Amino acid sequence: MGTRRLLLGLPLAIGAVLLQSVLWVPTYEEQARGNPARLEEFIQASIGDAAVLNPILSTDSASAEIEQLVFEGLLDRDERLALRGRLAESWTVREEAYFHVAAEPGEAGAQAERIAALLHGLRARPAGLSPPVRAALENIRGIEIEPARDETRTIADSSGREVRLRIAAPPRIRLLLERVDPDLFAHLETLLGEGVFLRFRPEAHLETDPPLAPEEKARLARAALPPVEHNPVIEFRLRPGLTFHDGRPVTAEDVRFTWQAVVDPRNLSPRASDFEPVKEVRVPDPLTAVVVYKRLHAPALASWTLGLLPRHRLDAEALRREALAAGKDPASFGIRQSRFNREPVGCGPFVFREWKSDRFIRLERFENYFEGPPEYRRFSYRILPDLLTQEMEFYAGTIDAYAVQPHQVARLSRDPRFQHFSGTSFAYTYIGYNLRRPPFDDPRVRRALGLAVPVERIIEAVLYGQAERTSGPFPLQTPFYNRDVASLPYDPAAARRLLEEAGWRPGPDGVLEKGGRGLRFTLITNSGNDIRKSILTIVQDAWKRIGVAVQTDLVEWSVFIRERIHRLDFDAVVLGWSMGVEPDLHPIWHSSQTGPNQLNFVGYRHPEADALITRIREEYDPERQAALCRRLHARIAEDQPVTFLYAGKWTAVLDRRIVIRERDAHGDIRHRPIEPTPTGNYRFHFNRWVKLPARPVFAAP
Amino acid sequence: MTAFIARSLIEKLVTLFFVTVVSFLIVHLAPGEPAQVDPLNPKFTPEMVERFRQAFHLDRPLPVQYALFYRDLFTGRSVSWKDHRPVLEKIAERFRNSLPLFVVGTLLTWTLAFPVGIRAAVGRGGAFDRGTAFLAYLLISIPGFFFAYLLILAVVSAFSVPVLGMETFGFEGAPLLNRANDRIWHLLLPSVLGAGSGIAVLSRYVRSQMLEVAHQDFIRTARAKGLPEETVLYKHALRNALLPFITMFGLTLPGLVGGSVIIESIFSWPGLGRMAYEAILARDYPVILTLNFIAAVLVLLGTLLSDLLYAAADPRIRLA
Repeated sequence: MGTRRLLLGLPLAIGAVLLQSVLWVPTYEEQARGNPARLEEFIQASIGDAAVLNPILSTDSASAEIEQLVFEGLLDRDERLALRGRLAESWTVREEAYFHVAAEPGEAGAQAERIAALLHGLRARPAGLSPPVRAALENIRGIEIEPARDETRTIADSSGREVRLRIAAPPRIRLLLERVDPDLFAHLETLLGEGVFLRFRPEAHLETDPPLAPEEKARLARAALPPVEHNPVIEFRLRPGLTFHDGRPVTAEDVRFTWQAVVDPRNLSPRASDFEPVKEVRVPDPLTAVVVYKRLHAPALASWTLGLLPRHRLDAEALRREALAAGKDPASFGIRQSRFNREPVGCGPFVFREWKSDRFIRLERFENYFEGPPEYRRFSYRILPDLLTQEMEFYAGTIDAYAVQPHQVARLSRDPRFQHFSGTSFAYTYIGYNLRRPPFDDPRVRRALGLAVPVERIIEAVLYGQAERTSGPFPLQTPFYNRDVASLPYDPAAARRLLEEAGWRPGPDGVLEKGGRGLRFTLITNSGNDIRKSILTIVQDAWKRIGVAVQTDLVEWSVFIRERIHRLDFDAVVLGWSMGVEPDLHPIWHSSQTGPNQLNFVGYRHPEADALITRIREEYDPERQAALCRRLHARIAEDQPVTFLYAGKWTAVLDRRIVIRERDAHGDIRHRPIEPTPTGNYRFHFNRWVKLPARPVFAAP
Repeated sequence: MTAFIARSLIEKLVTLFFVTVVSFLIVHLAPGEPAQVDPLNPKFTPEMVERFRQAFHLDRPLPVQYALFYRDLFTGRSVSWKDHRPVLEKIAERFRNSLPLFVVGTLLTWTLAFPVGIRAAVGRGGAFDRGTAFLAYLLISIPGFFFAYLLILAVVSAFSVPVLGMETFGFEGAPLLNRANDRIWHLLLPSVLGAGSGIAVLSRYVRSQMLEVAHQDFIRTARAKGLPEETVLYKHALRNALLPFITMFGLTLPGLVGGSVIIESIFSWPGLGRMAYEAILARDYPVILTLNFIAAVLVLLGTLLSDLLYAAADPRIRLA
């Protein structure tokens, strides 16, 4: 009797307690529409939680989304993706260029004087010079002679041995340029004599201990005393009166500290390569940061969109205090160990408040934000790992934004309660060929394969039309993308003709042959991506129609990368690249990056492309840089090292009651609907967003 | 008895050692890099990848890595590669979240399954037996995620109240009693889902065990003595049918660190299962291995516990 009663009574009691609790829970109605405070909060759903809220450490997109709101960079991108000042009120880019003069021992000083005088003279009387050389001279604001200096330092040579270097640097000439001029030395050569800079022999000014082989010594000498040197200089002028969320002022010292924190090897910052070219950051006054670079590196400017770290929270002293307070060893306590990464302090539009792992992150608006506080009082980031329940919560009104799927958009777009947006993503999908292997070394074969791929059908059938064709390596919405380059049409007949021209004839089994070898290869991609898997099947079928026998294979992601891509062991792959706004294609397309473990795994090499890629990296003028990019796009499209397929589209849905609030000079309020920027960013004006109690009606424009 | 426990503990320690070695090897031999290293990110230069590997000791020989990992684990210095938080702190936090689900689910399962199973056994072939059999097989064969969606949609459309997460989002300012009940409400669906399939399985075992015992002589004797039917079933029959369940009960212990990834994901429940799953995807070795270690310890403790319970439940078994 007792046992039975217990076995039945206990679960019934538990059940009763569980069930009665429903009476205490606020309904969706009470949370969403019946709750005025709900209008002041923007709730974003995310599948995954953030990892570290520190802009120099994080690599995941969830962390980046929060950092965007909590931190602020010196610069960011405007509606048209051009750089604009944020913490920096203004900035200038100039250059300091150096070159050594070849001279007999003891003569260097006098020789430098002579050359400086010559340049002065030419600048004063430029008659007879070609316009580009004249322009290069006009760009020179000052000519100085840097005195000789002696220096000793200890470095590790190529075998890891310690070597003491004694450098006796002779005087060299310093040119102060108003603008960065990558062609400066080429132009000076026409004035000072062909090969003049190569006559300087750095190894004559270097002694090593222990003595080294001549080639090794020459290498070290060139590194220590380069004959010519471009030092681009960016001078940022900070907005006065800015503060971090804790009230401490934002100064140029924080700029310098952020750079130091990124390049400090102990911090293992994934952004280190962006800041490696920085030589030094000078702080002449608290509102001026002067960043000097070791070499021409045009992507440098955009790297200052990185959120600024507060030095007073993370410098050596602050970390030591934190380590001691937490009872940890200060020697092994770095920025990666700091509590800061879970309780960040920035100077962006929202202040960090609370983070419960895998539940939510909560932010509140920053009342002292330099553009005025955002309209929303609170921003919450809810972790909801399931796509279906996200949609359910969205319908219930308890979240404002979530990762909406294409098929859900179709459902929501008919609902008058919602507005929806769509735009092209910065990622593209392609078929890459291993250009080291025949038959892919023949551009006609690659073009023929591309012509035979029904890309439009893939977009319709596999992606529900949510993609746009692309013909080159740059994101479609950037000025770098060349709209004049057409993507390959679907033309199997032309593909067959091209293959015939290249010497491929049908064999007995219908497969094309050349020199006894059939046109057979394997097309692979990573498993777990249904879209790529479908592409594999469609392409295999399409190629079979023109007489190409293709086997397909799906490989688990990490094996795919390590065993196939990194070891260059593949014929053809379906893959995608996710691009940034910066047009630096060096890692992916430059011929120096074709080895194992490098990213130009298709093995694309073209001297013109190499020259353009290098030049794009050195070109500081946005217009000229964009023009070079468009030429590079045309070059790569001409060679078809890969078949460019499409750039996917993203979609977003919002409540129609969310609008942009504008205040004019008199403080009058006006509302207007949310419109994406020309480059497709609908959240650009997020700080001005506001949710109205009722759906607004706008006059037709 | 003491001798048995001592010998058993030594045996289990040896087993534990082999478990740690094998699990360490499996984790490290599986392909893939920690998620901090993105092989296709142009910003990751080979030097940086190497520096990451050094920081995580991945450049050292496996035995050294093994020693370093367990040294860090036992001195409490082991940190997650994802966010550099101490592993034990992370696990403790998730354990607190998972515990209520486990307790409620286990309590419901291990109480209700018995009366249901016994009733089905007594009325074998009757309406109740066939009804519960149908329900049990339904619950066992419907995939958990599908059932969870149905349940969520039904409850949400009937009551229009939130069911996701451990509590209603944005309810922190409410009075304590409301918040406590809000938490209890959020326990309901996931624990009932867990208990549902648990009861389905366990009640079938109870039924078959009871059927085996029901025709034995001592049951007839008990009935002949004129004992009430309930005493016959719940005292005489159940005690003798109980032995296999002791083993099963011991094995529920590792469930403390298991948790269902699917249920936790659907219900946005920040439990241990989800953390383990994400750690595996991100190759966060310290978290994976620590959880694995704790699970191994719990399994061994569970078997020890059931050995001891055997002795308590069955006088014929002597531990020596």
